[in-house]
Parts: sequence; C-alpha cells; structure tokens
Amino acid sequence: MDDAGTSERQDGSGTYGVGGLVDSLDELGTDEVASDVVLLRRVWQNEKCAPEILPYEASLVERVREQIQLMEENIEAFATEIKDDLMLSLYRMDVNRTLFLLRSYLRARLSKIERHPIHIIDNQELWDRLSEYEQEYTNKYCEVLAKHFEQTVLIRLPEQYGSMLKQTSLASEENDMITQPHLNTFVFCRSRGAIGSFQLDDKGDESVDLMTNDLYILRYKPIRKLLETDQIELI
Amino acid sequence: MAMFGKKGAELVREAKQTLATEDQFRPFNQDLFEQVVKETDEHYAHLQERMSQIKANESSEAVDPNFVGGCAQHRSVLRNKRCLLAYVNARMSKIKQLRWDLGAVLPDDITANLSSTERTFFQGYSEALSSYMADINLDLTVDATPPKDPYVQIRVIGNLGEVLLDDQETSLLPHSIHFMTRTEAEPLVMQGLLEIYQG
Repeated sequence: MDDAGTSERQDGSGTYGVGGLVDSLDELGTDEVASDVVLLRRVWQNEKCAPEILPYEASLVERVREQIQLMEENIEAFATEIKDDLMLSLYRMDVNRTLFLLRSYLRARLSKIERHPIHIIDNQELWDRLSEYEQEYTNKYCEVLAKHFEQTVLIRLPEQYGSMLKQTSLASEENDMITQPHLNTFVFCRSRGAIGSFQLDDKGDESVDLMTNDLYILRYKPIRKLLETDQIELI
Repeated sequence: MAMFGKKGAELVREAKQTLATEDQFRPFNQDLFEQVVKETDEHYAHLQERMSQIKANESSEAVDPNFVGGCAQHRSVLRNKRCLLAYVNARMSKIKQLRWDLGAVLPDDITANLSSTERTFFQGYSEALSSYMADINLDLTVDATPPKDPYVQIRVIGNLGEVLLDDQETSLLPHSIHFMTRTEAEPLVMQGLLEIYQG
C-alpha cells in the first residue's frame, strides 16, 4: 500500500475524478483485500461444513474488518464527488459481500456453540478454539439454558432424575446426556495439493490417493489433521 | 394408570408440530405437559413400592418379579424425562429463532403463547446475544441471505416521519415507495415498518 496516497486521501484535500476513486481503491491493496477475502471464504466454507467447531481465525477476522472499514470510509468520502453511480454501486456490493461472509462465519460458529454448549465447555481443546467473546457468550447461553430446563422440567421430576447432565443419579456415573457432534459423518472435500496416499484408519486397510484439486467424500475424523494444516478444504 | 409412555409420545408429537408450523407459534401445552409430569410421578411411586418389596424379599433365592416391574417403571420415568425435555427443547429452538427474525422485542400475540419460564429464557437469550453482538460491534441478525443487490425497493407501512438515510434526511410517509440500501432497510423490515416492494 502506498502510504503517501493514504494520507492524502484522508486529508480529503485532493479532488478526485472517477479515475481517482478507482486508483485509490486499488491503493487500498486490492491484492491484499482479495487474498484475505478468499481466505475468509475458505475459512467460512470449512466452518460451515465441519461437524465440530474449528479454531477461531482471530487475526484474519481482524484484518478483514479493518479492510471493510477502510473501504467504507473511502466509498463514503468519494460518494459525493463521484459521478459514476454504477462504479459506486459495485464497490458497495463488494463491501456488502465481504460483510455477509463475515457475519455468516460468526453466525455459523454461534449455531455450533448453541448445539453443543456443554460439550464445548467441558472440553478444553474445543474451549480454546473460541474467541474471548464467544466464550463469554457460551457461558451466558449455558446459564439461561440450564435455568430454563431446570425451572420448566427438572424441578418437577423426582430428585434422582432431576439432573440436566445425567439421565438418573441412580445408575449413570458419567454425564450421559450431553450431545456431541458426530465426527464420523461424511464430508465433501477438495485436496489443495498432491498429498498422495493417505490412511483413513489405524490399521491401514483403507487408504486414498489425494490428488491436487480432486474431490472426495470421506469421513471427517481421519481427515481432521489435513484440515488443520490447510491441506484440504471442505465444500 | 394410563398406557405407559402414551402421553409422552403425544407431547413429542406436539413438539414436532410446533417445529413444523412456520408462521405461527403454538401456545405452551400446559395441560398435556402436566399430565406427563403426573404420570412420571406415578411411575416413580410404583418404582419405590417395587424397590421396598425387593428389599423385603432379599432373603429369598427365587428371581424377584418386582425387579422386572421396577425396571419397566424406571425406564418409563427416563422416557418421560426425555419427552418433556424434547418438548421444551423444540420450543426453545423456535424461541431462539424468534430473536433472530423479530428482534429483541416480541409482539404481544407471540408473547401470549409463551410460558412464563419461556419468556424469561427469551430475555436471557436475547441479552446474551445482544451483548455478544455489542462486544464484536457487528449486528449478526441482518444479512441472513447473500446480498444480490445493495439496494432494495421498499414500501413504507408504519409512520416513520423524517429519518436519516445514507446521511440524508428523508421523509418516509406511509405507502410511499423508496429505494434504499439493504443494510438500512433490513432492521426496519424486521420491525414491520417497511416491506420489500416487488414491482
């Protein structure tokens, strides 16, 4: 990004024509914007398709939000000067699409948290995948959830049966009422590189040749590691 | 005693219907709910009776028929617990959706169909969500579908008077038609003050 260009734009002193807007939006680092948006798209897609919650992409979200803000400021600054409504509308659309991705990504995570809140709280590894605010939300959500079940149903049941975590305190030793995501479900995925032969189970009976850009339907659990290292993407 | 588990099954069917009816919210079926709770209590009373008889017969060698009976009662209590929770859970997911679709304040006709604990739950859920969205400084309830056009044509339903749109003061008179950005229109559409106008 060209620093001189940025400061000049913030002064708002220069008069810009249509070309000026296009130039200055390019100066925003279109390449950088594009790549982060592409990255966000992949992260969003993975999050939507994976049965479990994935690590929160804090720095990516941070970057994308800064870029959105910068673009919005620039569009606003030039909205009064620009004559070309079509161009303006295209830039707005671009910002709106990125905002949609971001919102949808955060929504997908909330819905996973709400589906298995207690499982996530109990599991340190999953808990660490949440952002600080998501953790706060999970705690609050669990609280209202437990209170609601307690006051509506559990308080009305015989004492030994009144736990939200156990079916009955008579027989169950573990918390046997907490739902967990099905990690063995099948997912569609695309290989991002030539990974070669990959074992799908411990015994080595089943393996698959992962070629670049090929599509596969595989069980989620064995390919989790590949997703973590960004060698595959879910679709 | 009624047939084992029949009321519970009815309650689950009710839960399914609650989820299936899209445009309205069914009232909390307190009557059926109470019947299942009562049945559960009866099962439990029978179970305790069996248990005390099992204790009394402990010395005898023969297989105690009370044991089998007790198991059936025990499973019935568990099953009813599942049914009750499933019903409440189904309604809860619907209530959560209301927060996303209608915002933090529910219209009276829906509130009337919620039980008092459900109202409390809605408040709690709404507060948790609102404070999360305030923390991240982003309203997640808008933009539910991918945006096609940044602008939409809308028709004014309620009386809004002068409002600031896009930093310009515009007067939104009832029944007038306007062109505005989707992000500005969506919250007002959710509140029922505007509707999307299709030519």
